[in-house]
Amino acid sequence: MTTHPSGAVLALFAGGELGSVLRWRVERHVAACSECRREVSEFSELRAAVPVIMEPPEISWTKLAAEMKANIRLGLEAGECVNGGRSVRHGVFSVRALAVCGSLALLLVAFLLERPTPRVEPVEVSEPAFLESSVSGIQVKSGDQSIILLNTRARDARDVNYLASGNAMRARYVDTETGYVTINNVYAQ
Amino acid sequence: MRSKVAGLILAGAIALCGEETKLDPRTSIQINFPPDSPVLQLSTNVDESRATPRGGAVVVDLHMSLSLRNAGSRNIRGVTLLVTAQEVTPGGKASVAVPSLDVAPGQSFPVRIDLRLLRPLQAGGGPLVRVSLDGVLFDGFDFYGPNRLNSRRAMTVWEMEAQRDRQHFKSVLAAAGPEGLRREMLDSLARQADRPRIDVRVSRGGRAVSSVGSPEHMARFAFLKLPDSPVEAVDGWAGVAANEARTPTIQVVNRSSKPVDYVEIGWLVKDPQGHEFLAGSVPAAEGDLFLPPGRTGRVLQDTALRFSRNAGEPVSIASMTGFVSQVEFADGKVWVPNRLALQLSGLLRVVAPSPEEQRLAEIYRTKGLNAVVEELRKP
Repeated sequence: MTTHPSGAVLALFAGGELGSVLRWRVERHVAACSECRREVSEFSELRAAVPVIMEPPEISWTKLAAEMKANIRLGLEAGECVNGGRSVRHGVFSVRALAVCGSLALLLVAFLLERPTPRVEPVEVSEPAFLESSVSGIQVKSGDQSIILLNTRARDARDVNYLASGNAMRARYVDTETGYVTINNVYAQ
Repeated sequence: MRSKVAGLILAGAIALCGEETKLDPRTSIQINFPPDSPVLQLSTNVDESRATPRGGAVVVDLHMSLSLRNAGSRNIRGVTLLVTAQEVTPGGKASVAVPSLDVAPGQSFPVRIDLRLLRPLQAGGGPLVRVSLDGVLFDGFDFYGPNRLNSRRAMTVWEMEAQRDRQHFKSVLAAAGPEGLRREMLDSLARQADRPRIDVRVSRGGRAVSSVGSPEHMARFAFLKLPDSPVEAVDGWAGVAANEARTPTIQVVNRSSKPVDYVEIGWLVKDPQGHEFLAGSVPAAEGDLFLPPGRTGRVLQDTALRFSRNAGEPVSIASMTGFVSQVEFADGKVWVPNRLALQLSGLLRVVAPSPEEQRLAEIYRTKGLNAVVEELRKP
């Protein structure tokens, strides 16, 4: 090879994509030509860097499929408008059918890829329910849940009479507003 | 379904707002009275009720004021409402009872329900609280209601105690005049103030409350014998470890001529310093006891009780005493100790006053002696 190979040939050579005869000829030229050797070297470095630069961003297949489906539908509707409601030729129909089938297939793949994994809730070993009296009232508590009947309408905490009876607890006081005796009970089952 | 959706919307609103949310009574509370109920619901006010997020949970402060009317033909002596919040405590329930009433037909009366729920933010939909009628007691001990909480017996006991104590104070008024009644009222208020109190925590089954790290021993009950009691407690024991007692078991004998199907034993505990207090009561399990005359039976509760005072200071158990506090016969009639027996046995200073005595003492404290005299003159 007396003349320098073109840049495209050198790029293909750098990527190992030339046929065997042409590769042998370029190889001989590059071995003797420092200018072309430098150019091949630059192509090689660039090629090494390209995969990093060109790495595709994370794709939401569901979103992509939805957009594609919407675009296809839009295109079909636009076509209908342009045709003015004329009957569709078989050839065109086949293309549309293919597009729809393709998008459905894409949707299916997207669904399979994005299929949500069923969450398994952790099994909580809850503390058995218990009854308790406090200054504010009586409560039945089970794990992190509770129900408290409050003595807020008693005149004073000392005016409340508590009694534990079997699986129930009772608080009795006179409601300061109504004057009636109120008896609150909570039960643990 | 609509209420479920509304409940979910409420939970969502609480979560999004991150602050107090006013409760909507239409979606957060469900009130069901039977169609033939002798008590009608006139109005419901929940204006002060709030839901507040706390971490992954929500605290619901429900302050409900119900206005009810006696739609029957007899005076009402007591009402019990059943309150359920199934999503909070599966199987857990509560009730609010108002005894010592005297509501004539056509009259209205208020019932207040104040409760606090702590539940997960993500809990399912549906009303937070359901309120229904469990029972109404009329003059002459007639009863109406589903009685799911055995409110018939409880309200009958309160009414019998009320009649007993009203009769006592009427006798004092007749014998010693207003000044004698004043002394009785002052004595009642003093007893209520001086009555030893204790905090109790109850859990079902064995030693589930806590591990006290102290060896358990079987402690025997001593018993107070009340002269006219139709049932006598003859033996009893409980597992005791430091400030915990579990599975009280008491043998009783029916000394009356009528079959008995329910007995409740009052349970007194004395600490090492000699302070005696009412620890609770041991009721016979529903449907478990049937005592023909002369027969012996057993009252047993599979519960564990832990005693403390002054916000957690354990109270050790030195000794235990039991007494028969109520008996229900198979015909539905109820026995309660008489006033003299309570006084002579010393129980009057340990057990809580009856609801009626508590009400009369409060009338004396807030309105004076004449108001009590006027109250006692009512039939």
